[in-house]
Amino acid sequence: MAALGAWGTAVQRGRLWGAARALWGWRRPQRALGQDAGKKKDAKPSFTDEAVQNLLYKMTGLDLQKVFRPVKQELKPPKYKLLTEAQLEEATKKAIKEAKEKLTMPPVLDEREPIDDVLAEDKILDGIETTKYIFTDLTYSIPHRERFIVVREPNGVLRKATWEERDRMIQIFFPKEGRRVIPQAVFKDEHLVTVFQQDRHEDILNMCIAQFEPDSADYIRIHHRTYDDIEKHAKYDLLRSTRHFGGMVWYLVNRKKTDGLLIDMIHRDLLDDATSLITLYHMLHPECQSAKEAEERKLQGVDLIKVFAKTESQKEGYIQLALQAYEEAMATSTGS
Amino acid sequence: MALGGGLALLRAAAGALRGPGRPLWGQGVPGVPPSRPCSAEAPPKPSEPPSPYKEKPWEYLESAEYQEAYGDKPVWFGYRRHHKGAVPPRHTRKACLRKGKRVGNPCPICRDRHLFVDFRNVKLLDQFICPHSGSIFHPTHTGVCMKQHKLLLKAIAQAQDHGLLWLRIPFVPVPQDDFAARPPAVGKTPPAPQLTAGRAWYPWYDWQQPPPDAVARLRRLYKDYLRQEEGGPAPGGAPEAQ
Repeated sequence: MAALGAWGTAVQRGRLWGAARALWGWRRPQRALGQDAGKKKDAKPSFTDEAVQNLLYKMTGLDLQKVFRPVKQELKPPKYKLLTEAQLEEATKKAIKEAKEKLTMPPVLDEREPIDDVLAEDKILDGIETTKYIFTDLTYSIPHRERFIVVREPNGVLRKATWEERDRMIQIFFPKEGRRVIPQAVFKDEHLVTVFQQDRHEDILNMCIAQFEPDSADYIRIHHRTYDDIEKHAKYDLLRSTRHFGGMVWYLVNRKKTDGLLIDMIHRDLLDDATSLITLYHMLHPECQSAKEAEERKLQGVDLIKVFAKTESQKEGYIQLALQAYEEAMATSTGS
Repeated sequence: MALGGGLALLRAAAGALRGPGRPLWGQGVPGVPPSRPCSAEAPPKPSEPPSPYKEKPWEYLESAEYQEAYGDKPVWFGYRRHHKGAVPPRHTRKACLRKGKRVGNPCPICRDRHLFVDFRNVKLLDQFICPHSGSIFHPTHTGVCMKQHKLLLKAIAQAQDHGLLWLRIPFVPVPQDDFAARPPAVGKTPPAPQLTAGRAWYPWYDWQQPPPDAVARLRRLYKDYLRQEEGGPAPGGAPEAQ
């Protein structure tokens, strides 16, 4: 892909970005927002709503250079292909389709309720064995969530296995790639700090998806720690064009910590993303003053950001500065 | 005459024994082995003090003596294995310290007593990993002995486990299961009526009244051996509490 490798300049990256957004093929968010907001005014929008997903995918972006960047692996001699313009367009479309699959967002779920059902109590077995026995149903064709796994305690109680025991047993008998029976030491809080200092947030989130189920406590804890660290050090660009960006935005908007992200977007001249972020904020917190004003006066673009900065944000000064710098840059570029 | 001389010598020797009971030729500095100038064995070497970097091996790689010895090159750079013939064997030697003795030309890690293979000194471990492909060098490339190579593999795996070293993560697609559904294996099952009512699990865990015809049959069978009690509890009645 030497021809694709030449797509390094900003102009062509912009062209790709525009093509990518057009090819997303989603409906325009404003229209969907009006319909959904009208129907479910009292229900809080969830992560899986189409309007929310559209906004999050738009904000994630699609930088093909980052999605298909070279990874450290065993080196092979490079392959070169000569393509016509039409073939190049087709290859780009195929790459964008593949990138969209790679950027599917992992689900954001609540923590699963613990399992603690007792099935039987056989006092006659009390004291006979010294260890627990775990019985796993190994039928190949049933999904893992429907698999019965029970534990016989030494005191004779037969209970259902806890979630951790279930995950361990299923990994032993039906091993999945990238998952270990005992999770790595990296996932403990004291070692997460080391990983964050090396700026490997995307790696640790990918490892987390491989190792844990999306509704387990460890998965949620690691994701929250990663998002907190990114927000603390303003390293938002690490997750842009990855499948984790949507989850991070959802987390920040729910906790009203969007100021840093907004400033970062304005610095990088992503005004569309900034307006999408504020739109999402208004969807999730419709009772806030900024949302009411925006709906009354039908604000768009920079005005929306200014109203949001004045009413809802804590770092109003920084946002104003960033907007000023952006406007000056636009003025000079249009003037010259 | 000789006897008298011999007796005098003995008396002199006995006189010298007035000390703590040791003979003259046995006195020396305690702790130091006596010098044996005419012995054919090699003199015992003084044991080396333990390395000051044993607790924190990563500090050695920042020190001046490391910089002087190795500079910017890895520790194995310039090491040449000693072997017979032009083609080196496919495995390096098993260990550099055999029965407490060092071999001639020890491997790059064993020759420097301040280098310790620990999962925390990442700089040393990095020198044994290819910077381009991320794979660990074969011992024939670096020259380390097989024992140190095994320790290196363990330490590198541990460092990757703790997040200190880079590790290649395969792409795992997002799970598509339905997480909202709670099939009976993972959902709530109502407890059995015995558990909620607080009764025993099997009815025969508690004492039950036996059927009267069985009692009558047993009485008939063992009527010659029954205790003669008037109005007492029937034999085969409630067992003693366990």
